Amino acid sequence: MTMCIRLIIDCRCRIGSALLRCVVLLLSLLSVSAAVDADDGAKHSVGIVRPDSLEHDVDSVKADDMALDLDAVVVTGTLTPKPLKSVPVITRLITSADIRRSDATNIGDLLQSELPGIEFSYSMNQQTSLNMQGFGGNSVLFLVDGERLAGETLDNIDYARLNLDNVARVEIVKGAASSLYGSNAVGGVVNLISKIPDEPVAANVNARFGAYGSRRYGASLSVMKGRVGSVTNVQYKCVDSISLTDGNPDKGDYGKIYGHSIWNVKERLIYLLNDRLRFTGRAGYFFRQRNSQEAVKERYRDFAGGLKGNLDMSDGAKLEASYAFDQYDKSDYQVETRYDVRDYSNVQHNVTARYSKTLFGFATLTGGGDFMRDYLMSYQFADNGSKRQYVADGYIQADLGLSPNFDLLGGARYDYYSEASVSHVSSKLAFMHKMRRFTLRGSYAGGFRAPTLKEMYMNFNMANIFMIYGNPDLKSEMSHNFSLSGEYARHRYNFTLIGFFNMVDNRISTAWNTVLRGQQYVNMSRMNISGLEANAVMALPEGLGLRLSYSFTHEHIKKGAPMVSSTRPHTATIKVDCNRKFKNYGLYVALSGRILSSVTVDEFTSVTSYESTQRVTYPSYAMWKLIVNQSVWRGVSLNVTVDNLFNYRPEYYYSNSPSTTGTTLAVGLSIDIDKMVKRGLL
Amino acid sequence: MTRHFIFPKHALLLAAMATVVTACNGLFENIYYNQADDVKDFGFVAVDASTKSGTVYVDATSYQRWNYIDFHSLTTDTANIVMDEAGPSQWDIAIHRYDAKTNDAKVFRTEYASLSDVAALVDMPESTGVTDEWTTDVITVDMSHMMDGWLVYADSYYNRELSTWLDVDKSEMPPIYTMSDKVYIVQFGDGTKAALKLRNYMNDVGIKGFMTVDYVYPLDY
Repeated sequence: MTMCIRLIIDCRCRIGSALLRCVVLLLSLLSVSAAVDADDGAKHSVGIVRPDSLEHDVDSVKADDMALDLDAVVVTGTLTPKPLKSVPVITRLITSADIRRSDATNIGDLLQSELPGIEFSYSMNQQTSLNMQGFGGNSVLFLVDGERLAGETLDNIDYARLNLDNVARVEIVKGAASSLYGSNAVGGVVNLISKIPDEPVAANVNARFGAYGSRRYGASLSVMKGRVGSVTNVQYKCVDSISLTDGNPDKGDYGKIYGHSIWNVKERLIYLLNDRLRFTGRAGYFFRQRNSQEAVKERYRDFAGGLKGNLDMSDGAKLEASYAFDQYDKSDYQVETRYDVRDYSNVQHNVTARYSKTLFGFATLTGGGDFMRDYLMSYQFADNGSKRQYVADGYIQADLGLSPNFDLLGGARYDYYSEASVSHVSSKLAFMHKMRRFTLRGSYAGGFRAPTLKEMYMNFNMANIFMIYGNPDLKSEMSHNFSLSGEYARHRYNFTLIGFFNMVDNRISTAWNTVLRGQQYVNMSRMNISGLEANAVMALPEGLGLRLSYSFTHEHIKKGAPMVSSTRPHTATIKVDCNRKFKNYGLYVALSGRILSSVTVDEFTSVTSYESTQRVTYPSYAMWKLIVNQSVWRGVSLNVTVDNLFNYRPEYYYSNSPSTTGTTLAVGLSIDIDKMVKRGLL
Repeated sequence: MTRHFIFPKHALLLAAMATVVTACNGLFENIYYNQADDVKDFGFVAVDASTKSGTVYVDATSYQRWNYIDFHSLTTDTANIVMDEAGPSQWDIAIHRYDAKTNDAKVFRTEYASLSDVAALVDMPESTGVTDEWTTDVITVDMSHMMDGWLVYADSYYNRELSTWLDVDKSEMPPIYTMSDKVYIVQFGDGTKAALKLRNYMNDVGIKGFMTVDYVYPLDY
């Protein structure tokens, strides 16, 4: 008993002292503009866990005194595992530690807090809508372990499906990438890579409690025994409705945020047939219920499964073949009758094969192809009908390490969409040139987006007000992306500056058709988007870290034409953190902020005529978050987050205003049971 | 012995193939409601003479139609507004979308949520009641010009009290629908009274404009 009390007192003293020290260090960091680079000549000595693996946790190998772990392996930019420092395609990496420390409850929170130029807002009916440096949700391709996701609402996938538990890392490639990923990779690719078990047994339970009845419970079990491995994850989260305007319609476009609950279950089975051949099976179930109406609950489900085989051939070549199934359903649960009425189902079967081989020690050739069956039943088709199409593609890429300092990458992909009779070739050419601590990267990348079944065949009565018609004659969206970047990396510092220019043709959108007396999908005229992105990352002594990121996006509008885009031109993210480790205690304190500029938009006053507009200015805002994470004992982590630290509250709630009513507090607890067991505590 | 093992392999293969084939358009269809299994009639779909209660179900999806309900004869009828059709000679209340009017009746909105509680009352709750009013900008018969900034209305009587059985908040898109969950007492011209409660404004598959009204008629007081 006495020992327990001493332990508690000791811990409290230690926690208090460490917390105080971290706060002092944070403050001193903010006031000091320069710091000592203690080891600028040090080589990157960190090791890489299984560099041939596409799915490992890079968090465990990053040294604390490095600004960025440039040896971390990424795959999204080239389809083959490569260290960050050697990838000719600029790739942003969010590690599992970043995810854990961000206290993000969904992918939107995570991306917005880690990257500038990204904004998740609401579109009609409070559906989540993405804007990434001028590109909308249907122009940014989201992948989970390289697999596409079925289903969309108002041109965005269901981001709630992207459960961040057991995610090893998130890789983001900004700019077009259709030469590898085909349709939708116009503005970028976001790829979530799952963890694979690397210990005999690992188990975690976690819970998080926040404002507005926000709760999250998660559990995962990972087992690796002999040649068989399994990862199981279950997560439940919910939140009550949030009243924003207290019923005053003059204070917002919407008065409350609908409450919801989400179940997410994932299972992965890994079987190593021998040292060269590995099979991975997976299954997943997702369920989301949104309480938007009293009498009707909107439900969203997904059933996913797949089987993948990876073969390491004797000559060093790698072969991967997979089958993936993904079914995304929407239904309305009638509270009175208890009928669950499905009105949307998107079912995708995808078969893929990929082969890569390194020749002559410097040239990595990658080739592959996919075949997909895409089925869509929708309430937006006439008589709740259905359509289907077949998609086939083939691609090839050569990554040439022409010298230790120069890398050249080229590739092309052919896509065919049966229903739209679209044949499209996308290409890419990129180079990387290293000059001591400076790395120059440049690229041209083609992007395209085939017309979807929805855009071709919609026949939807919009509340008896007007019709929205599809257009089978739509052409594919096409983009040309040019980017140039410079990266300066020393051991504790990393600076990057990226410039980009996009030309987007045949954008698909709706416009009023006077003959049909309704909206119809049409191809729009060319739009050009250019911008800059700057990042500075510093790892300073005493576990201090600083990350500053800024993004400028400019959408070119013809002189005299209305400015209809609501992309905010200036955005920035800031993170100052301090990570201290002791024998049985660890403390991580982070202050992070998002700063978004205002944007002035010319909005059409009528959907039937494009002659008159009204000017609307969406105000700038900044949101700050303070996170205190304590590893109070081996495997036990306690997290306290103060969100909206400076109590920002919009005067008027626009669809792109933050859905906040002021400062909130959240508390989370995570227990790695296996680590506790190892310590003999159980 | 060998055959014993081959059979399950083939069976598994066939099962797998069958699963793939049937899964082409998706799995788990049975967890959803199959609307083809259940087609409902309209009118007085349930009548319990012993309790003098029942349910009336009307298709009020059309903006151009009044749906007339007669509790005295347990009948329903319709009349097209735009074609200026005359309604039935005998009716008690009428429904147009979610709007209601009465045949020279008074409507009392009670604080009760249960029809049986209202039926069990000894006396009528104290209230002045609300009669119909003449309107020229309430009964919408054509929504198709909304995007041009105007709608087409029909001149008509309208009972503002009974129409509160469903609140449609159009400040957001899509609108938010909230039923009042209250029982309304309608006192007809002949002195008889009905207790009404809107149970649903959608059909089984969620299409709005199908009104399900539970009633007790006549009340004993």
